[in-house]
Amino acid sequence: MAEKSYRDAIREAMMEEMDRDEKVLILGEDIGVYEGTFRITAGMLKKYGPKRIIDTPIAEAGMIGTAVGMAMFGLRPIVEMMTMNFSIVAADQIVNHAAKVRYFSGGQVDVPVVVRGPQGAGVQLSAQHSQSLESFYGHFPGMHVVAPATPADAKGLLKTAIRGKDPVLFLESAALYGMKGEVPDDPDFTVPFGKSRVAREGKDVTVVSYSRMLQLSLQVAEKLSQDEGIECEVIDLRSLRPLDMDPVYASVAKTHRAVVVQEQWKPYGAAAEISASITEAMFDELDAPVARVTGEDVPMPYARNLELLATPHGPEIIHAIKKVMYANG
Amino acid sequence: MPKAGDAMTEGKLVRWYKQPGDPVKRGEAIAEIETDKVNLDLEAEEDGTLGAHAAKEGDMVAVGNVLARILKEGEKDDAPKAEPKPEPKPEAKPEPKPEAKPEPKAESEEPLQRRATDRKESVKHTTGEYQEAIEQRGPRRDRSAPEAPDAAETPQGESGDRKRSSPLARRMAREMGVNIESVQGSGPRGRVVAADIKNAGSQPAPAATSAPQAKTAKAPAPAPLAAAPALETKIIPLSAMRRTIAKRLSESTGPIPHFYLTADYDVTNLISVRQQLIEISGVKVSLNDFIIRAIALALRHHPAVNASWGDDAITQHGEVHVGVAVATGDGLITPVIRNADTKTVPDIATEVRALADKAKNRRLKPDEYQGSTFTISNLGAWGIEEFTAIINPPNAAILAIGTAEPRAVVDGNRQIVVRDRMKVTMSCDHRIVDGALGADFLKTLRQYIEQPLRLVV
Repeated sequence: MAEKSYRDAIREAMMEEMDRDEKVLILGEDIGVYEGTFRITAGMLKKYGPKRIIDTPIAEAGMIGTAVGMAMFGLRPIVEMMTMNFSIVAADQIVNHAAKVRYFSGGQVDVPVVVRGPQGAGVQLSAQHSQSLESFYGHFPGMHVVAPATPADAKGLLKTAIRGKDPVLFLESAALYGMKGEVPDDPDFTVPFGKSRVAREGKDVTVVSYSRMLQLSLQVAEKLSQDEGIECEVIDLRSLRPLDMDPVYASVAKTHRAVVVQEQWKPYGAAAEISASITEAMFDELDAPVARVTGEDVPMPYARNLELLATPHGPEIIHAIKKVMYANG
Repeated sequence: MPKAGDAMTEGKLVRWYKQPGDPVKRGEAIAEIETDKVNLDLEAEEDGTLGAHAAKEGDMVAVGNVLARILKEGEKDDAPKAEPKPEPKPEAKPEPKPEAKPEPKAESEEPLQRRATDRKESVKHTTGEYQEAIEQRGPRRDRSAPEAPDAAETPQGESGDRKRSSPLARRMAREMGVNIESVQGSGPRGRVVAADIKNAGSQPAPAATSAPQAKTAKAPAPAPLAAAPALETKIIPLSAMRRTIAKRLSESTGPIPHFYLTADYDVTNLISVRQQLIEISGVKVSLNDFIIRAIALALRHHPAVNASWGDDAITQHGEVHVGVAVATGDGLITPVIRNADTKTVPDIATEVRALADKAKNRRLKPDEYQGSTFTISNLGAWGIEEFTAIINPPNAAILAIGTAEPRAVVDGNRQIVVRDRMKVTMSCDHRIVDGALGADFLKTLRQYIEQPLRLVV
């Protein structure tokens, strides 16, 4: 184990898989000569050459369409989006081709393509670059949607994505790139999809989250434990599709109350799916309605103070936790 | 806001029945209003269409101010819109901490900038910023004000009188054989939650009242008294009526409006039990020690007496701590018997003795004389027959105990007999305790004192 940043964990995962399998290659804007907008592909052009590190024009539909074709014919392309928001330009390639080719071909053709890049707020990239797209992509059958919260998960989940035979939307949190954590050195370390993780044990209330909001939830849990003796059980979903709710249900059976935290907007968001699933499966166990903590329902502001106000805060999560515990006085 | 009584200066808009644009008929209820006495419906004075609400649900509105206008056909509404209620001021300034502010230079590390000459990593997005997020307190975000109803908790169109309960509470009630209809809900809008069922289930079922009662009983048979119920800490927001009682009574008699209730208890049995207990336990217990336990148990039947006044709410305490006034050389202090309801009389006796000694030597620590929820003052040893005591804030009441002495009384058969009697006078904070409640409390206390075996069952 060594301490690595989230950014380096992603970079390491790709390089290990490129060393392991020559069919793995990367396409993206400014990933070669410029070495990547977020420096994730630094040094890769030199090491793997222009056939495997492909600088593309600014044409996302073309990049992903090309990658889908490569994948259909046996390569394992990774497409780096400068931000995941640009993938919306290529949504038809993702939703109508990558996710449906196996179905259309009666199971004959797989599309092992990984579309990865940063998303989310917290880094002042304004409204069109700060969105979280997990519920948008999570809506469609035919692909995986993954959102790691730690460096170790970023590495292990990305390796699973590259080795798999399905299209994967790999949603990195831009605000977590600098975050450090222990990452296993084993080149065969992988984290399977569809295995939620109990990130912190507790008995009083279940807090469900993923990606950056998982880290905020953990900090809130520590604060509540120290200040008020409230013990939150925090669950990291890791992947939104497949969605592993079993650890959540087991936790709710213990705590009888749940709070779901997401960065994106409340209407039709991931938290809506998660809280509805809890209510369907665990209705008789609930002592309070499942609470959701979400971003404000506005385009993300650029101004630092407004961006902070538009994304979920500690006090809001604490308020929701106390609300489901009937402890707000 | 109509004037619904001579003393009314303002009223609370409890609930709108009609929304802007709804047609209304003369005499139809538009809204519910709470005055300091009653809740009443505001009726339309004309047919028409309801204009914009000029007050929000929960607003206090001065008499004569506009709540809404009823518009004739084609009439436009120029009434002021409901102003958002000012949010409570945040404790901290809303701006982020200075050290957490991004350096202006960080702009040049903006990740999307394509041709930065400085290639050093843009690492401003470390976990440090979560601290900022945790500590940030935007006023718009502070929704913890209790009067701000959560929209999700008050869906429109749901009837107000349905018994609400959580799924877990219903399941637990089924499993524990608790009748949920009889359980008081502590959740939002009276929702019965798991904690309520747990409390209800830990109490024995009410004693059967059908047992035949001996008609020849000499003394009037007291109503059966169930075991003292468990308590929990509760914050009860002040109603308009409770605020008015507090304000008016305070105006008349100072910060704590006192009133006094005197009762005369028969302690013949208690004196006999005391003798027996001294022989059995070897502890020199006093009548006062029995009274402490009796009060503690009676408080559990009347949690509204085991309470404290606050500007916005009355706190009913979840535990019973009885303060005992002790005269010292130069004054008075009230050491506290904590959780007196859970202690035996000999234990109370030992503890009172130890604390009184410390008090006289001025060796009490703060946690030994603070935090009482009820206080007693006993001048029986001085031969005082009865007296009134001043409430020990923030208690809701104090009990002044007079001397126990043989007196001639008329018994149930209208014969004059000699019995040991003791007078107590309870001083009550009228903001919290009304006369009937105080009297109920003294009635419960009578059962414990006149039938001292109740103190051990």
